[in-house]
Amino acid sequence: MTNERHPGGRSVGAARSVLGDALRARRGPIAAATVLFCGHQAGEALVPVLVGVVIDRAVATGDPGALAFWLAVLGLDFLVLSFSYRWGARRSWYADVTTDQALRLRVADRVLDPRGGAETGRLPGELTSVAVTDAKRVGVVAFALPLGIAALAAMAVAATVLLTSSLVLGVLVLLGTPLLLGAVHLLGRPLERRSGPEQEAAARASGVAADLVEGFRVLGGLRARPAAVTRYVGASRAALAATLGATRAQALYQGAVLAMNGLFLALVALVGGRLAASGVISVGELVAAVGLAQFLVTPLQILGWVNGRLAQGRASSKRIGDVLASPFAVVPSSPREGNPDGDRALESSPHEPAKGELRVRGALDGVDLDLEPGAHVGVVCADPADAVALVRALAREGEHPAVVTLDGTDVTTLAPEHSRRRVLVAAHDAVLFSGTVAEAVGAAAVGDVRPALAAAHADQVAEVLPDGLDSAVSEQGRSLSGGQRQRLALARALAADPPVLVLHDPTTAVDAVTEARIADGVATLRTGRTTLVVATRPALLAATDRVVHVVDGRVAATGTHATLLDDPTYRGALG
Amino acid sequence: MSRDLLPVASGPRIRAVLGGLLRERRGIVVGGLVALLASAGASMAVAPLLGLVVDVVVDRRGPDAVTAPVLGLVAAALAQGALAVLGGVLVARAGEGLLADLRERFVARALALPVARVEEAGAGDLTSRVTSDLSLVGDAVREAVPNVARGGLVIVATLVGLAALDWRFLLAALVALPVQALTARWYLRRSTPLYAEQRRVGGAQQQQLLDTVGGIGTVRSLVLHDEHRERVSSRAADVVALALRVVRLQTGFFGRLNLAEFLGIAAVLATGTWLVSIDAASVGTASAAALYFIALFTPINETLFLLDTVQSAGASLARVVGVADLEPTPERPPAEEGTVEVRGVRHAYVPGHEVLSDVDLDVPAGARVALVGASGAGKTTLAGLVAGVHVPTAGAVHAGRVGLVTQEVHVFAGPLADDLRLAAPSASDDDLAAAIEAVGASGWVAALPEGIDTVVGAGGHTLTGAQAQQLALARLLLADPPVAVLDEATAEAGSSGARVLDDAAERVLAGRTGIVVAHRLVQAATADRIVVMDAGRIVESGTHDELLTAGGRYARLWSTQQGS
Repeated sequence: MTNERHPGGRSVGAARSVLGDALRARRGPIAAATVLFCGHQAGEALVPVLVGVVIDRAVATGDPGALAFWLAVLGLDFLVLSFSYRWGARRSWYADVTTDQALRLRVADRVLDPRGGAETGRLPGELTSVAVTDAKRVGVVAFALPLGIAALAAMAVAATVLLTSSLVLGVLVLLGTPLLLGAVHLLGRPLERRSGPEQEAAARASGVAADLVEGFRVLGGLRARPAAVTRYVGASRAALAATLGATRAQALYQGAVLAMNGLFLALVALVGGRLAASGVISVGELVAAVGLAQFLVTPLQILGWVNGRLAQGRASSKRIGDVLASPFAVVPSSPREGNPDGDRALESSPHEPAKGELRVRGALDGVDLDLEPGAHVGVVCADPADAVALVRALAREGEHPAVVTLDGTDVTTLAPEHSRRRVLVAAHDAVLFSGTVAEAVGAAAVGDVRPALAAAHADQVAEVLPDGLDSAVSEQGRSLSGGQRQRLALARALAADPPVLVLHDPTTAVDAVTEARIADGVATLRTGRTTLVVATRPALLAATDRVVHVVDGRVAATGTHATLLDDPTYRGALG
Repeated sequence: MSRDLLPVASGPRIRAVLGGLLRERRGIVVGGLVALLASAGASMAVAPLLGLVVDVVVDRRGPDAVTAPVLGLVAAALAQGALAVLGGVLVARAGEGLLADLRERFVARALALPVARVEEAGAGDLTSRVTSDLSLVGDAVREAVPNVARGGLVIVATLVGLAALDWRFLLAALVALPVQALTARWYLRRSTPLYAEQRRVGGAQQQQLLDTVGGIGTVRSLVLHDEHRERVSSRAADVVALALRVVRLQTGFFGRLNLAEFLGIAAVLATGTWLVSIDAASVGTASAAALYFIALFTPINETLFLLDTVQSAGASLARVVGVADLEPTPERPPAEEGTVEVRGVRHAYVPGHEVLSDVDLDVPAGARVALVGASGAGKTTLAGLVAGVHVPTAGAVHAGRVGLVTQEVHVFAGPLADDLRLAAPSASDDDLAAAIEAVGASGWVAALPEGIDTVVGAGGHTLTGAQAQQLALARLLLADPPVAVLDEATAEAGSSGARVLDDAAERVLAGRTGIVVAHRLVQAATADRIVVMDAGRIVESGTHDELLTAGGRYARLWSTQQGS
């Protein structure tokens, strides 16, 4: 999906730069880790070699001095390999996690850009997965790269040792091992193809379980739990069948790898044994060759793993690049385009206090609105889609043909966050962020939040919660009822005390009694401040100075709620 | 706030449940372990056979004498591979089958829990068991247990092999044991809390990202960019710090095991030197012992490293078995009758905090009652008691089969038709189409990419709030209960969907006893009886006209809501 929106070389270039930039930014720890991992691999490679030497010089001769000396050398080798691994792993892991986190922040920054656009065409889960999974996969490259280079170095060490003792044996091991791993890779390929669907089936079973538990109360309300259990057993059995199929393939693969390793070892033993028996190489060199043939499997496996991580990292880097390069949904129509510093400069520059005079020209199919400072105006749209479009234009979500001016300034020339601070749009489905109730309501607050809480009748919400204002709000307010959530969100918008406040359906989940009180509370609190209420609930509209009735994208009538009530089409539009 | 969490199984109980599940597949388990042991045994033949090759060289028996031990190596390789396949298949079948039985039992018991019980425990308790605990146990059974079993068998077989060469090689190898045991203990004490902390912090960061991304519209409209950037980045620092603590722990673990490796190999080589010098062993035997010991490095490291996974899975298993082990509570089939009687009901969620007092309500079959009142008046509690979600603290509720739809909507992940069939598993395609039509959803359902077979919910096509509510009402229609309770079932949609939902609710209620919690009084006005509640009591009751004439609370509300 993301590929389609960014065809051509541009995003590939961006992808390369995400991975490249990430690695360049951590080149110090990556280089250090590379050197240290080389030391570790060389040390590992030397273990069988040194054991061979001990057998030659000490075990075969019975010389205790040689034994002590070569065991000390072996000990030194262990010391080097152990500590170089320790410090190498710490450096490369540091590079890994800091790269991962830096990329998460870059994605978060792009998503958080006031000009928006990153989430266009992407589900929240998808974007989060780019920020989490893809960032992690690019991070892993920083860990894998030093390991891969060190694996190459280890192979070079093993090759040198083998070739200096016997050309034939060296060539056999050095050519045979990659061939062996190539064959293993070919064997494993169908397995890789199978493991995808298998993991999916297993994930589906656990997904079904989590989903059913999440809908627990809904199931209870319909007495549908037995049907849900039957559904789950079906998913679980399907997952079991898929998993068993895949584990059979997995077992076959592991068995084949074991057998092939064993057969290759037999071949090395045959050739090496014959060479040693003919006196071409020593017993120690034979033992070392056998050991190295076994040892080489590990660096080659590491190389295979590193190769896989690189491929994943490149794909993830491209996905991150796509998100970072996604076009902005709204761009100020001034020379500041693409220059965020310009926006900040404007934001920090002193500006006149807003009076709150709002004019809208040409919204929908020609709706004009004029709100003098301090006006309290309602808008009733016969078609809910019109209400959404109007609210989005005022919120500067995306580009709209409507011209919106605030105190005489065209808001499209302002940075979006700048105009949003002056014209705050409270959407009816606004999300509460986690924290305490006080934090959630105070998120954008200017001064004391208590008047806003009272006006939105949200002080009652806090009273019934276990810890009052300090009660936790979690998972986008899902711990609260719809009505509680809506009142807290309304209080939050009121507490921000913007020059112009636009409320869209603020009380849909609130009962009739409370709604009437909220309508009064909002009108009183917003006295002298411009307020636009886009809604269909009579109680809210009754509290406004006048109401604009929009039908088919045009203004059908303007008047007080009481006078408009005589019009049957207006009454029909009310909720 | 203390929660009454769902049960956690004790050690003996876990063993009993696992034992029962293992006994059900005893043949496969035993067969798999024997095959794995035999495979490990075949691998033991490799080192002595290599030792024989060495001896051929040392004894100068000529190149052709190498052939016999090499053929032995070939046979060992083939046997090892074949037995590993057999063992792997059998162990996986036993493990996966056991896992499937366990998770199915868990889900069946979890879904049978009373709603009130789950609420007491907090929604997060059951959710975390079904997501993280079940998957941790699954990973352990799939990855850790077979590898630990295989590694353990290889280690045992190797030690036996060393002893077979000469018992003194075994003693030498055991020099490493105390270091390994201390390392394992050192690691396990630290790893479990550290990994749990890492999962927690990682999860918190992911949740924060999801929060921010999911609420990005709100972030923009309130200009909360800087605060959210700060929230994400502060968690980033925690994640990095913890990751570095983890790598320190793991490198410490491997470093200590390196020491054990060196002590062991040095002891084996020294023993070899001594035994060869006293002619108790050949150079070949000593080489074989050294190779044996080198071959132990990887299985020992892997097995000890995986012990941590096994240990954390144990804690998760206790929480899974705790629920799976609950006695199933048989749900008695409710009567197919439409009358509802509420007699002297009082209810308190928290003792002493009564939310309903002395409520009496009689609803004849087929009648419709609207519950009206401010938030906290007790409407939802009364609706929940009628629907059987809660059992009243005092008094009695008699009702037949009740279907409840609240404003809590959930779209079940999967094809839309499957979602609907949860309410009526045997519903025909025509039944589904009729229900969709009745709730006014046929237009958008037909417009979905694959119509009624479109995958909806988590991971599929996202439905709007209003669409999800229509779906909930369609489910209720399919479940076809004689009594329907709608608790603000049309509230969540906002004005954009309200009218469609009102019509849908009207069709769902037709021909049933209906109890409707209404926010908008226009919904209440058409009811046979309107019940006005305040502070847990019924304060007014009558038809719309009666209540308007009475000029009480309802009449005042009606005039404010009409805004006149």
